[in-house]
Amino acid sequence: MKEKHEKIGKIILWIVLAVVAVIQMFPLIWLVDFSLGSSNEMFTNGLLIIPKKIRWDNYVKAFVDGNFLHYLRNSVLINTLAVILVIFISIMAAFACQRMKWKLRGFVGTLLVIGMMIPIHATLLPNYKIYSNLHLTDTIWALLIPYVAFSMPQGMFLMTGFIQSLPKELEEAAVMDGCGIYRIVFQIVTPLLKPSIATVAIMTFLNNWNEFMMASTYLSTPTWKTLPFSVLEFTGEYSSNYAVQFAVMALTAAPAVIVYVILNKHITKGVAMGAVKG
Amino acid sequence: MKKLYSNKPVIFSLILPGVLVFLFAVLAPICLSVYYGFTDYTGMGEAHLVGFENYIKLFGDHAFGRSLRNSLLLAIGFICIQHPLAIIVAAVLDKLQGKAEGIFRCIYFIPNVISVAVIAYLWKFIYNPDFGLLNNVLKAFGHPGQVNWLSQQNAIWSVLIVLIWHGFGWGMLIYYTGIKNIDPVLYEAASIDGAGWWTTFFRITLPLMKPVIQINVTMAVISALKQMETVYLLTNGGPNNSTQFAANYLYQQAFKAFQYGYGNAIGVVFILICILATVALNRIFKEKQEA
Repeated sequence: MKEKHEKIGKIILWIVLAVVAVIQMFPLIWLVDFSLGSSNEMFTNGLLIIPKKIRWDNYVKAFVDGNFLHYLRNSVLINTLAVILVIFISIMAAFACQRMKWKLRGFVGTLLVIGMMIPIHATLLPNYKIYSNLHLTDTIWALLIPYVAFSMPQGMFLMTGFIQSLPKELEEAAVMDGCGIYRIVFQIVTPLLKPSIATVAIMTFLNNWNEFMMASTYLSTPTWKTLPFSVLEFTGEYSSNYAVQFAVMALTAAPAVIVYVILNKHITKGVAMGAVKG
Repeated sequence: MKKLYSNKPVIFSLILPGVLVFLFAVLAPICLSVYYGFTDYTGMGEAHLVGFENYIKLFGDHAFGRSLRNSLLLAIGFICIQHPLAIIVAAVLDKLQGKAEGIFRCIYFIPNVISVAVIAYLWKFIYNPDFGLLNNVLKAFGHPGQVNWLSQQNAIWSVLIVLIWHGFGWGMLIYYTGIKNIDPVLYEAASIDGAGWWTTFFRITLPLMKPVIQINVTMAVISALKQMETVYLLTNGGPNNSTQFAANYLYQQAFKAFQYGYGNAIGVVFILICILATVALNRIFKEKQEA
């Protein structure tokens, strides 16, 4: 009797999980499915189609006319730089505010974390004004500065927590050996922060990789535009060719999804650590 | 040691980059916003100080009221629909052992790593009245399937569906981590005492998850307030401001309606609301923990 009960429970469990999985995945499966057909085939009453002929050329058009490589390169470059800057700036500031002795440490520490509360989009208008007056629009700085600024508070917050939990004895020993502060920060403390560096890197990437509001406000030429723009700017010639539009969407989503699936375990850990502490 | 750790120039050099970024990218724009909020600047020409005129106008602005109401609605949607589902799925997922657990967890989170640009355009197609997925699903169930999902009446609900769908994996993951952190000994004890799944869930899982739930609820409210990207691409606040959100509204006012001054005034009020909401929620939850 009990065994039967357990079996029914297991089945219900599976059904719940499967239904949710279908709801989460079906729109994406639909996207990929239709991207492989021709536009005429979309006008069907069925949920999915079996393309008469798989139209890989949709992807070729998306890849070439969507400027995929160019935008991908920009995204990788800008996001990597942002991650490195966020990590360095927040380790340095967190160390200074957490370990070193000075009057305003509490104040500065709070100030740098407070940025978390400011809604990014409220700064779109004034920042646009500032960047255009300083001729920073359409440069890499127009993205790099705000990306770093809005990921730094979280980085700072996480780093402060981790530095706090490090034993002081290590640093004391280093001082005995005649280490300077910079060497302590970069050669002794930083290597110990590896797990938190990974967390900050993942959170910064997730925050900024898909960002397009600031990019479309501060950039008008395609020089530094990032991956979301393959989708946003891909109309015109193909405005009535839905299948190609689907292909460009699938292609744009692909890098992040592939990286996520490969690094799934690490990203899950990073998000969990970052979100619970942030 | 002491001397080394209170060396002023060294401290200064360590905090300088962080402080500079903060001053230039956070504080300066806010100050500028406060200034322009008091002007009638259109984006071109000269700015004239007009005192509190923009703020008085904002007070009677229905579209802004609508934005805040929509944020509230979204927060309620997150807390009453997305989160209960996320907790239950997380708890069920925790019971599943082996490879399937990781696979499901991975699937649920995938929409989260996809750009809002793709998500919003995809859902525009899903809602398409001619060949959209949703109407075809309705047809499969025998419904005529002629719903106009983005009409004035339906649009806000359609927007909520997208946002709840898109953020589900994130909430689920955080609850899942919280559940994993619960001491398994407690579950063993419950099982020895003969407690069923529901009893265990309500008596052990939920109470122990309280801090996680509080963090998640705070984040849900804040992200409901800050919502912009999805709405900007899906409906741009329309039709007739029915899906308007504060961030989208200030953007429209400044760049489409050429009321840059007014847009900044909205921005200032928007920042204040976000700060107040964060502080208030933290305080409420802190008091509860102490009580």
